[in-house]
Amino acid sequence: MLVSKTSYMYEMIRTELTDILGAEFVRTGEADKFGHSVDYYWVPEMWHDRGMETPKPDFIVHPGSTEEVAKVVKLANHYKIPVVPWGGGSGSQGGALPIYGGIIVDMKRMNHFIKLDKESLTVTCQTGIIARHLEWQCNKEGYSTMHLPASIACATIGGFLAHRGTGVLSTKYGKIEDMVMSLEVVTGTGEIIRTLPVPRHASGPDLTMLFLGSEGTFGIITEVTLKLQPQPESRQFRAYIFKDFHTAMSAGAELMRSRLQPCAVRLYDEEETIHHVRKVFGMELDQGAYLVFGFDGRTEIVDLQMKYAREIMEKKYKGKDLGSKGGELWWENKYKFFYPPFMFHIPQAFGTLDTVATFSNIENVYWAMKKVVNENFPAARFIGHFSHWYEWGCMLYARFIFEEKDVPKDPREAVALYNRVWDMAIRAAIANGGVINEHHGVGLKLGHFMKELYGPAMPVLEGIKQQLDPNNIMNPGKLGFKGL
Amino acid sequence: MHIENYTDATQNCRFCFMCRHLSGIGNVTFTEADTPRVRASMIYGITLHPEKLSEPDFIDTIYRSDLSAACRFHCVSHFDENGLNLAARADIVEAGLAPEYVKVIAEELKQSAKWSSSGQGNVLYFEDRYTSEAKTVSAAFRKIMKKAQIPYMTIQGGCIGKALAVLGFGKDAKEVTQAFAAAVNATGAKTLVVSNPAAYDALTSDFPTFGAKLNAKVQHTSEYLASLKLKVTQKAPAVYYLESDFLKNYDGNLPGPRALLKAMGAKVLPFGTNNEESYTCAEGAVVLPKIDATLVEKLAHYVAARADHPDEDVIAVASPYTKIQLEKYTKLQVKTLEELFAAAL
Ligand SMILES: Cc1cc2nc3c(=O)[nH]c(=O)nc-3n(C[C@H](O)[C@H](O)[C@H](O)COP(=O)(O)OP(=O)(O)OC[C@H]3O[C@@H](n4cnc5c(N)ncnc54)[C@H](O)[C@@H]3O)c2cc1C
Ligand code: SF4
Repeated sequence: MLVSKTSYMYEMIRTELTDILGAEFVRTGEADKFGHSVDYYWVPEMWHDRGMETPKPDFIVHPGSTEEVAKVVKLANHYKIPVVPWGGGSGSQGGALPIYGGIIVDMKRMNHFIKLDKESLTVTCQTGIIARHLEWQCNKEGYSTMHLPASIACATIGGFLAHRGTGVLSTKYGKIEDMVMSLEVVTGTGEIIRTLPVPRHASGPDLTMLFLGSEGTFGIITEVTLKLQPQPESRQFRAYIFKDFHTAMSAGAELMRSRLQPCAVRLYDEEETIHHVRKVFGMELDQGAYLVFGFDGRTEIVDLQMKYAREIMEKKYKGKDLGSKGGELWWENKYKFFYPPFMFHIPQAFGTLDTVATFSNIENVYWAMKKVVNENFPAARFIGHFSHWYEWGCMLYARFIFEEKDVPKDPREAVALYNRVWDMAIRAAIANGGVINEHHGVGLKLGHFMKELYGPAMPVLEGIKQQLDPNNIMNPGKLGFKGL
Repeated sequence: MHIENYTDATQNCRFCFMCRHLSGIGNVTFTEADTPRVRASMIYGITLHPEKLSEPDFIDTIYRSDLSAACRFHCVSHFDENGLNLAARADIVEAGLAPEYVKVIAEELKQSAKWSSSGQGNVLYFEDRYTSEAKTVSAAFRKIMKKAQIPYMTIQGGCIGKALAVLGFGKDAKEVTQAFAAAVNATGAKTLVVSNPAAYDALTSDFPTFGAKLNAKVQHTSEYLASLKLKVTQKAPAVYYLESDFLKNYDGNLPGPRALLKAMGAKVLPFGTNNEESYTCAEGAVVLPKIDATLVEKLAHYVAARADHPDEDVIAVASPYTKIQLEKYTKLQVKTLEELFAAAL
């Protein structure tokens, strides 16, 4: 059922929600509704920019405990009202948008730092905590989660768990799913469950992993225990300019194959090096592709890792050494790329074509996407960098950008153009061994690719959804699951 | 509209999430509306649909803002979402849309704009209402001046325009600043010293904007006292210093407070987990306790929850306002810089 505001049922539900949470934490004001109707997805931002009304929730609730979350979900099941978890609203895929109205469960009040276990090096917290606040608290004790995404200031830990997010040090410390010990979850039926307390076991399939990446469609993650790391004695970076992107990619892949364990590797294609890296750093760089990497840990070990890495870069691939200064600049400015005016924003149309593939495929994915965008959308610019590197491959953070003059004035036409680019680019990536996507998630934007991506495995996912959320109230219409 | 003077902030902040962790009020209400991004987005909406300016929930959101300017200080381009909020308030007032609770406060502030001076000397100490309310602050100042054997005058009274300006009553604020400037100039003082950072900001930033000319040089007490180079007889205790919104985020990180702490030999310990969040209980909003005291109480609890040892720590502040709020709602031991310095002499 979708509640109509004119119906007295709306008031009945509001009364019940108030009974669970208290009046202060059930909000229906226009400002709050508006705030929860636009996330970081380009479409609602553009929609609002053009003066269109964005779909609003009926209620916004701020639970203070897992029990309150469970009660809200049970109530929503009773009336069959959609429930959409909301963290910081910084997701770029429209995952937290209340497309069918219903109840937004804004998790930010559940922001408690519960326990830091110095013996096991773990930290337990509620999932509504903003990642920066959690990191600050861990830092004060001399530790770090090592989860340092560009959205650290605005996204919640729950959002990262829901999207399988990642941070700048992922190459050594992993994505968020590598950092999780265990979870507490309120399922779509309102049951409170806990996954096993350790991530390595042979007691059947891994329930923790099942909820990571479920984007609020299976339930609401309310508590998490994460691994912690001591702050390293030393962290060093070094950067190189290579004559072209292919050489830089070969050098980066070799660094990963060497198993030297860098904490970060990042490679910008020629276009992004000229237009963005230079601008953010405020310095001149030669023509070519900028590659930066770093190591952290005990100083003697880091020095040695750096020595061997330099041999790869300089002897074999003839990279031009920008020194440690060229690398430190990147580390110091790593978030600056995301502040205006360095970040793209409306009236431009832009999208991050987040894709991941093995080293054997990644260049093909890059060229296939670039070709499809350049040939079909000559007005668009295509740039890319490779952000998150693994032993076997890396993530392509490709972007397309249309300037204002090339974006249709009619918002529906603008969405149509936007979706066409996505569809063609993503299909090109999948055809070349790419997976969409690595850390931004699926949400509303990419849901329609899930069947193509999963093939005959999709019904398995749908079966799990049916079991955990039989009334399809949890974030309907997202992650490729059916809508209302 | 005043908001049109802040197009940069409207256009950039509405797509930006990068300072949401510093949204003091958002961190205690938990709502998206209380973030720079959403406020800027709503204001952008008003440029498209001016009738939305009268939406009561929008108006309340704008008046709930803590105006710490932590976002502007943090921002790599220093976009002024804070100024945008103030501009929105001015537009609300000029459109005749100020809510009753705001009008009542503004009226009371206008009535309060009267001052009386006494004493003799070249230095004039301004005791605004917050300084008077936190009685120990002016008492400490008097003690220091006596010890230093410096004759001085005092001027006491109500609003000098800051609170009115912050509420969006620019015209009234301008009149009040001019009246206060005349009152100060009539004393013949060469130096005007103020404890309240809001007053300091008004005198150094708003007065020139409003064309209210002061003949005296304006100093915050911390700057003035540090310049006296008095010898302390006992070192001040180790303190956790809570930055003032005005002195740090508005006035270019005024060095006075830290210079004075150094002069009194105080070891300054890092408070909480970072030096970016505002822990002033909405000093920047000046009169939030009159708008919604429950919000100020929440902000005070937020601060107390971050103290290392809430029952023992000495919390140093540059702001009588912050002292009043923290003492009202928490058990923290809060001392202003004047009090610490007076005790160390
Ligand atoms: C400037 C900027 C930079 C970014 N950089 C990065 C980056 O470096 N790395 C990265 O991974 N991402 C990045 N992102 C994307 C975004 O921050 C992530 O997707 C993040 O995980 C979203 O978290 P959130 O709390 O904002 O979630 P929201 O946007 O509120 O929600 C995202 C999804 O998670 C669900 N959800 C939220 N909380 C819960 C919960 N507790 N339980 C179940 N489901 C939940 C929602 O329903 C929705 O489907 C960036 C975004 C911005 C704006
Ligand atoms: S002040 Fe700067 S960091 Fe904050 S929202 Fe605006 S542009 Fe972003």
